[in-house]
Amino acid sequence: MAVNYDPAIIGRVFETTDPVPVDAATIATFAATIGDTNPLHVDPEVARQGPYGGLTAPPSFAVTFRNGRHFFEHVPRFGKQGFDAGKDVEFVAPIRPGDAITLSSHVKEIYEKTGRSGSMVFVVIRSTLTNQNGAVVAHVDHRFMNRT
Amino acid sequence: MSTVLDLHSHSEASEDSRAPLEAYLNWLKLRHAERPVHGIVLTEHRQFNQAADYRALEDKFGLMVLKASEVETDYGHVLVFGVTGEMTARFDFANVRLPAQEVIDEVARMGGVAIPCHPGRPNVGLCEHYAKKPPLENVIAVEVLNGGSRKGEDERSEALVRQYGYGAIGGSDSHLVSLIGLCATRFDAAIRTIEDLVRELREGAYEPVDFRPRRKPVPHAVPVEVK
Repeated sequence: MAVNYDPAIIGRVFETTDPVPVDAATIATFAATIGDTNPLHVDPEVARQGPYGGLTAPPSFAVTFRNGRHFFEHVPRFGKQGFDAGKDVEFVAPIRPGDAITLSSHVKEIYEKTGRSGSMVFVVIRSTLTNQNGAVVAHVDHRFMNRT
Repeated sequence: MSTVLDLHSHSEASEDSRAPLEAYLNWLKLRHAERPVHGIVLTEHRQFNQAADYRALEDKFGLMVLKASEVETDYGHVLVFGVTGEMTARFDFANVRLPAQEVIDEVARMGGVAIPCHPGRPNVGLCEHYAKKPPLENVIAVEVLNGGSRKGEDERSEALVRQYGYGAIGGSDSHLVSLIGLCATRFDAAIRTIEDLVRELREGAYEPVDFRPRRKPVPHAVPVEVK
């Protein structure tokens, strides 16, 4: 591979945020914002009888948690310029009111490819969302493209 | 019996595709009247999964699923059919600067066939490289119909085929479920296995087929008389 980087950076957690508390009001506001009327997110009585035994956040709530302020300082850069090439989210477990969510981030993958517009290096940063019990609730993969 | 195969597709195993294989097969079953293919070849980017076994899905949908790879070379992207352990040991499929001539010759020697894809595409197609470097030797075919082609790209590929006398194949290059099977290759012979496919690509008769819907011509504008 022509792309040069220290392989030791792969997998090493470079940032862990403070826990962010989640409450029912925040979940309800988020559900209303995205137009999700599922009572499992907003009606405690219905949710109690549902598959999770209580209120849960819509799955896409996972992307509302922010990385730390120094996040971008740890994203390896290659070539001349780059941009955010999208995100993949893997939902593992429901996020509930009362949870406190922590994000830990590491470089998951660096790879090179060629396309119509030339050569590119992609850097994938994985942020793992963990609740107060240490259970993983989601993985968010941030994909950054660098033009070389 | 002839066989129609989409020779170029990417499932979610490729980093830039979000298409599950099962969704591809379900779509093809639903759209069989418009895209009458007997199966697809997964040509994941820069990798080959020797262990992947799709027989259960083949049985479920009654469609063939074969495995190949799309690698990147100094002459653009190349589809490798009949990948073996010897090939993956000889070449680092993740290397985006593989020597195309070596890939073509070595893959052939090891029992497979390497076919440059989307040759009319800028930067990653054969045409642009032929304008700067000597043509490759031992190319038996190129992909002249590619479902991801932009205006003029397939036409450049056709001109290349006419100039060099290459064989011609077609593939959807699908990265999205709804695009699978839009372009394919029709073989005169029956194909059941990757060995059959390699044999037919080397020695058989085949042609690209285009199942893309024709756009209705835009009616000529009627001039408005200005008074």
